Amino acid sequence: MSTALASSAGLGDSEAPQTVAGRPGLGSRALHSPTFMAGAIMTTTIVALVVLAPVIGRYSPVALDPLHPLSGPSGLHWLGTDELGRDTWSRLLYGGRTDLQVGFLAVVFPFCFGVFIGTVCGYFGGRLDAAVMRVVDVVLAFPFFVLIIALVFVVGVGTHGIYIAFGLTDWVVYARTTRSATMIARNLDWVAAAEGGGLSRTRVLWRHILPNTITQAIVYSMSDIVIVILAVVALGYLGLGIQPPAPDWGSMITDGQSFLQSDQWLAILPGIAVVFTGIGLSLLGDGLADVLRPE
Amino acid sequence: MTPLLEVEDLVVEVRHQSSAFRAVNGVSFSLERGAALAIVGESGSGKSLTLRAIMGLLPNSGRLLSGRVVVGGVELDPGARGYGRGHRQRERMSIVFQDALSALNPVATVGHQIAEAPRHVLGLSRHASRQRAMELLRQVGIPDPERRYGAFPHELSGGTRQRVMIAIALSSDPAILLCDEPTTALDVTIQTQILALLADLRAERGLSLVFVTHDLGVVGQVAEELAVMYTGRLVETGPTAQVLAAPRHPYTAGLLAAALDVDTPDREPLAIPGSLPDPRQLPSGCTFHPRCALATLECATTDVVLEPVGPLRQAACLHSDQLALLQAAPSRG
Amino acid sequence: MARAEVNRAHAAADTPGPDRAPTPALLEVEDLSVFFAVEHGRLLRAVDEVSFSVGRGEVLGLVGESGCGKTTVAKCIVGQITPTTGTLLFEGRKLGSQRRAEDRRAIQMVFQDPYSSLNPRMSVRQVLRELLRVHHLVPSSGIERRCRELMDLVGLPADALDGLPSQFSGGQRQRIAIARALAVEPQVIIADEPVSALDVSVQATILRLFEDLNSRLGLTIVFISHNLAVVRRLSGRVAVMYLGRIVEEGDRESVFSDPRHPYTRALLGAAPRLHQTELARPSVKGEPPSPIDIPPGCPFHPRCPRAEAVCSADRPVLESVQTGAWHLAACHFRHEAALNAQGAMPLPEPEETSESAEEAP
Repeated sequence: MSTALASSAGLGDSEAPQTVAGRPGLGSRALHSPTFMAGAIMTTTIVALVVLAPVIGRYSPVALDPLHPLSGPSGLHWLGTDELGRDTWSRLLYGGRTDLQVGFLAVVFPFCFGVFIGTVCGYFGGRLDAAVMRVVDVVLAFPFFVLIIALVFVVGVGTHGIYIAFGLTDWVVYARTTRSATMIARNLDWVAAAEGGGLSRTRVLWRHILPNTITQAIVYSMSDIVIVILAVVALGYLGLGIQPPAPDWGSMITDGQSFLQSDQWLAILPGIAVVFTGIGLSLLGDGLADVLRPE
Repeated sequence: MTPLLEVEDLVVEVRHQSSAFRAVNGVSFSLERGAALAIVGESGSGKSLTLRAIMGLLPNSGRLLSGRVVVGGVELDPGARGYGRGHRQRERMSIVFQDALSALNPVATVGHQIAEAPRHVLGLSRHASRQRAMELLRQVGIPDPERRYGAFPHELSGGTRQRVMIAIALSSDPAILLCDEPTTALDVTIQTQILALLADLRAERGLSLVFVTHDLGVVGQVAEELAVMYTGRLVETGPTAQVLAAPRHPYTAGLLAAALDVDTPDREPLAIPGSLPDPRQLPSGCTFHPRCALATLECATTDVVLEPVGPLRQAACLHSDQLALLQAAPSRG
Repeated sequence: MARAEVNRAHAAADTPGPDRAPTPALLEVEDLSVFFAVEHGRLLRAVDEVSFSVGRGEVLGLVGESGCGKTTVAKCIVGQITPTTGTLLFEGRKLGSQRRAEDRRAIQMVFQDPYSSLNPRMSVRQVLRELLRVHHLVPSSGIERRCRELMDLVGLPADALDGLPSQFSGGQRQRIAIARALAVEPQVIIADEPVSALDVSVQATILRLFEDLNSRLGLTIVFISHNLAVVRRLSGRVAVMYLGRIVEEGDRESVFSDPRHPYTRALLGAAPRLHQTELARPSVKGEPPSPIDIPPGCPFHPRCPRAEAVCSADRPVLESVQTGAWHLAACHFRHEAALNAQGAMPLPEPEETSESAEEAP
């Protein structure tokens, strides 16, 4: 029976098999996307640098060197020191560590929760969907930073406050995009085919639909990390973020403000670090959008 | 007499991701005043791009590499900037697209869209162009034109929308109507109405027609001349009835053998072996040769072009005569 | 009037009724209706009391143009849509909105658009494996072999299993979709315009595949299409739908050579023919009305070249055309035979001029 149809219909040679070979894999597409490569290189550089902070940072970021305050680049301090004699290079690295860590971690919960709730709402609709979307509308209606600052005041300064503040507010964007994508996918023939094939709805939802709808969320998460870092920087600038003496780019910029006339690099260097990281992550996100598209 | 429309050696390049290929590769044809030509081909044959290139409406991914377009003896330059706007001779040509819903402006009334060309291109007053639009609505068979004038495209049915598209195409008073699969998206009973409308308009206005389609069953009703396209080239041309009755290119013969006809259900449709080649990697020589039963080594190594194979007939096949003999044999089913 | 009532009426009068269901009937649709409430309290009648049955091993062709409800009927049969009223029976068992896995497997659908009927992120192998595993159709050790068999059945090479949909052409994707449908070992395949989106040269192959599925695997097929040529080639029986109702049904040759409903005749007349050089003059005017505003009496009467006063007052039901073959039409003039193979209308009374047939649309 297995060969009966094929040979009788003469189907064997109609439509050559060479179309199947030579499919560009994800890896190769990644390599060919200039945006992705640029973003990946920039991000990897930053991540590598901050991960290796204990190795390449020459001093503890809180170590004082009262003999050489506000010094320029030298053999002793590659990027100079701040007003308390703390090594700028080490502070940049350790500050980056903190900022990136917070950036990534603060996005994890919103991503997971947002994608989950968005998928469920988009697929099932009904009252749950209506209720959740009202909550989303309310959260989105608030000016973001005002909300963050208010929450930080309530919950307390420091990283905990940031995690909670983002956890409560950031999930809505993921929920919305995933919900839209799910609603569109839900009506497609291949979903109907999967359901008609006797697969459970749970299975169809998480194994079939989700891989198709999660792309936008992944891409957005890259920009989201940038947003979080900027928020941490802003909070640090306001004194509401990472508390001294632990370094972070935001407080470094704040501290450096007083010295803009004389020792500009104290504020500019962390600024450059923020911009570089931001661009790298954005390009990575853009590149991912290209690479993950199923053509 | 000079043909009304002459197209010579049209080449259109399409850019796809990082590669480029010629979607239209040297297409030439001419159209007499009042005549109709059907161009038939499957997906990827380049037939739609040919029309768009002539009209200067190529998508961003497409580029006209070379070719001449001559209308009424005047040479046009479809590659020039501004060709798409207000070129006098270009107004003698209009195009009708396949999907009226996406080709019409969704936020403008149909009347407004029909009146646009008379107002802004022919320079009529607002009142006169409105009158013109009403008249056109009537001519394309839309009942109750006063009321329909203010309708939006999505409020109309598919057939009516297509009539609106035809009205828009007629509004600049063209001599040539280019139709890109105008009835493919319509139900078959509506299709007959639209084809009848086109035939009536041809008769009344002396319009010339270039009709692009993939449906061999329709070409006989629409046009006296037929051209068959494959991978960006014309492979056969000639009077429609003759080409359909006795094709001189194996691809045409293949299409006819694969097509189903409601009157002959017992004839088994035969698929053309192989599949459409990737346009970025076309076979050498005659692009059809890997799928052709008559192919010889020569076919893969010679650049085959359209040659006359009879009075008024051309075919791009080295074995065209052999094909004719095979078909004349009494065993043909 | 419900089909069952008509049957009973005929039985009481001892006249041949509409139902000569082929035995054994595998799939039965009884008085299926799908109505949607739309704004202003109006009703969109997508499907209106449709009844038919399909015998085991049969191919039933369901013909109609856009908006006639054929796809909605298909979706009801596979359980995608819950009908407003009516009954669906498979092997004599009622099919509700919650179905057992065996029943869901038994009826599979092949969709029209090959570009949206496959999950873009799952390889062919993944799709097939999942179905085989979830339904425990073969032991784990046999899954790979079964996948290859399925590829073989539809005429694709084994290495197609590794591919993602984006690497395949339309015709190949349809074959993958068919393989997917076959994986769960169905008994009925509902094919909803499976070749309409394909090039002509590819259609023949897919049609051949369906023919083989029916003749060699004994699959029962409901073949939905607007293309009469395709339906005539494949089906044993045909049902023609218009505005949610069946207007004509019967043995294929009887319907095609002697259509008794003006709409069927219009469809036949309008069907493209390869060697036709004369323009087919439209025999129906206008366009189908919205299914929200179905005309009273016979829904076709505003467009019908044969319509008379009775048609707007009295809705005709599907009744036999009394030719001996199994052939029903819902038309007051069903007893008038067609004039020629193209289904030409019988000429109206001499005083009516030919205008009525040539009226501008």
